[in-house]
Amino acid sequence: MVLAWLLTPAAAGARDYLQLFVTQPYLELHTGPGRGYPVFHVVPRDESIDVLFRRTDWFKVRTEHGVEGWASQHDMQQLTLADGSPFRFDLGDRAGFTSHRYEMGIFAGAWGGANLISAYYSVSFNSQMALEGAVGQFLGRYSNGETGDLGLMHVLLPESRWSPFLTLGIGTVHTEPKATLVQPTDRTEPTAYVGGGIRFYLTRRFFLRAEYKAHYIFTTRNENEEADEWKAGFAFFF
Amino acid sequence: MESGIRVLLLIAVLAALDGCASVRNWYQQRHAGSNPPATAQSSTPADDQTTEGAPPRVIEPQVERRPVKVPNIHSSNIELGLYYGALSIEDFGVNPVYGVTAAYHVTEDFFFQAEAGRSHGGLTSYEVLSGNAPLLTGSERRFTYYDLSLGYNFLPGEAFIGRGIAMTSAFYLLGGIGSTDFAGDTKFTVNFGAGYRIVPRDWLAFHVTVEDHVFQSSLLGYTKLTNNLEARLGTTVFF
Repeated sequence: MVLAWLLTPAAAGARDYLQLFVTQPYLELHTGPGRGYPVFHVVPRDESIDVLFRRTDWFKVRTEHGVEGWASQHDMQQLTLADGSPFRFDLGDRAGFTSHRYEMGIFAGAWGGANLISAYYSVSFNSQMALEGAVGQFLGRYSNGETGDLGLMHVLLPESRWSPFLTLGIGTVHTEPKATLVQPTDRTEPTAYVGGGIRFYLTRRFFLRAEYKAHYIFTTRNENEEADEWKAGFAFFF
Repeated sequence: MESGIRVLLLIAVLAALDGCASVRNWYQQRHAGSNPPATAQSSTPADDQTTEGAPPRVIEPQVERRPVKVPNIHSSNIELGLYYGALSIEDFGVNPVYGVTAAYHVTEDFFFQAEAGRSHGGLTSYEVLSGNAPLLTGSERRFTYYDLSLGYNFLPGEAFIGRGIAMTSAFYLLGGIGSTDFAGDTKFTVNFGAGYRIVPRDWLAFHVTVEDHVFQSSLLGYTKLTNNLEARLGTTVFF
């Protein structure tokens, strides 16, 4: 029983690989996952391959004779499934920019006059609406601190290469004033923000994103504070 | 005359009877071959259309195509690892550094990388010469940094060990921003560097990386840009 239990996952794993058939004259296999790595093997027409895994736009495949190599996304599109239908998969192209599930990016910018390092992650509900979270650290002359935001993003023209968007959400900011100031106590305060920006599709899975957020900081003092956040950076979708 | 009319009527009645009516189809029967007229009459009009003019089928294929279920293809784009090396902290000597990296490969050319490392600043020349005048406390000497970088792979190639072992390799450039916590202050830091990655297995890689961490420091009484060069060896695992 134990032996069977031990062996089953391996056997099941071996069967789980997708089998594809070469219908073009041949399929080139490279030594590595990149166009710069040389072609070392070709799979002739009508032979099949097993797809082991994928790295970026390259697929590691194994031929019927046990030769393993890397096939490009472009070549893999020419292959067919066992029922004769073409093999289709997520390409990570301009259509993916319009409609995707996740995106991630890093930014440089300014938060209330201080230097800002920031990163964000978002989950899309559809091509126009997404939930996104952002974290950042600002480093200024008078204070340092960290920010965290959670909010909604609405993309106005998702199919356009230049697609503007609006954001709305809540957050928190932790401020550490420099010790030389009068009020040296650290403080953590809730915030709310409204903002907007623009995304520009570069190539493949990459796009540029620049945005502005107007933060309202709800302090325990007599007056609430406001802080402007400007940032721009690289992002990608997957 | 009357008998003649009777004979004609009898012939007409006989011709209208069923037995003789079947004779009307005898010409078609010869051409239809094995199909008896009774079955032809009982079959549906659709069947008549398929059988007429088409060659007779020996075996009707009863195969139903199985729909192919495409399994989820595992994406191995995440690279996590550790490194150890030497960091030259400006004015504070060369010291061991260790840290962790996490990278996400977006395309064959570009990847995002986050890294965090720690070192410990030594003594400045002034502290060594003056004997006992420490500039910083022990905890202030701790040098902690993180950065977020964009990487670019170039010069892809292969490295060979003997005749039988070939490993893919690539150089890469790194550039990014982050922060450094040193001498009781946190500084905005720009980092850039280059590295060499060798991949002996699809899931394993070794790195040699040289990187510069640049930030403004006013520790010695005036503000200056400090360059903190780091050389390190690392190992990463692809997930």
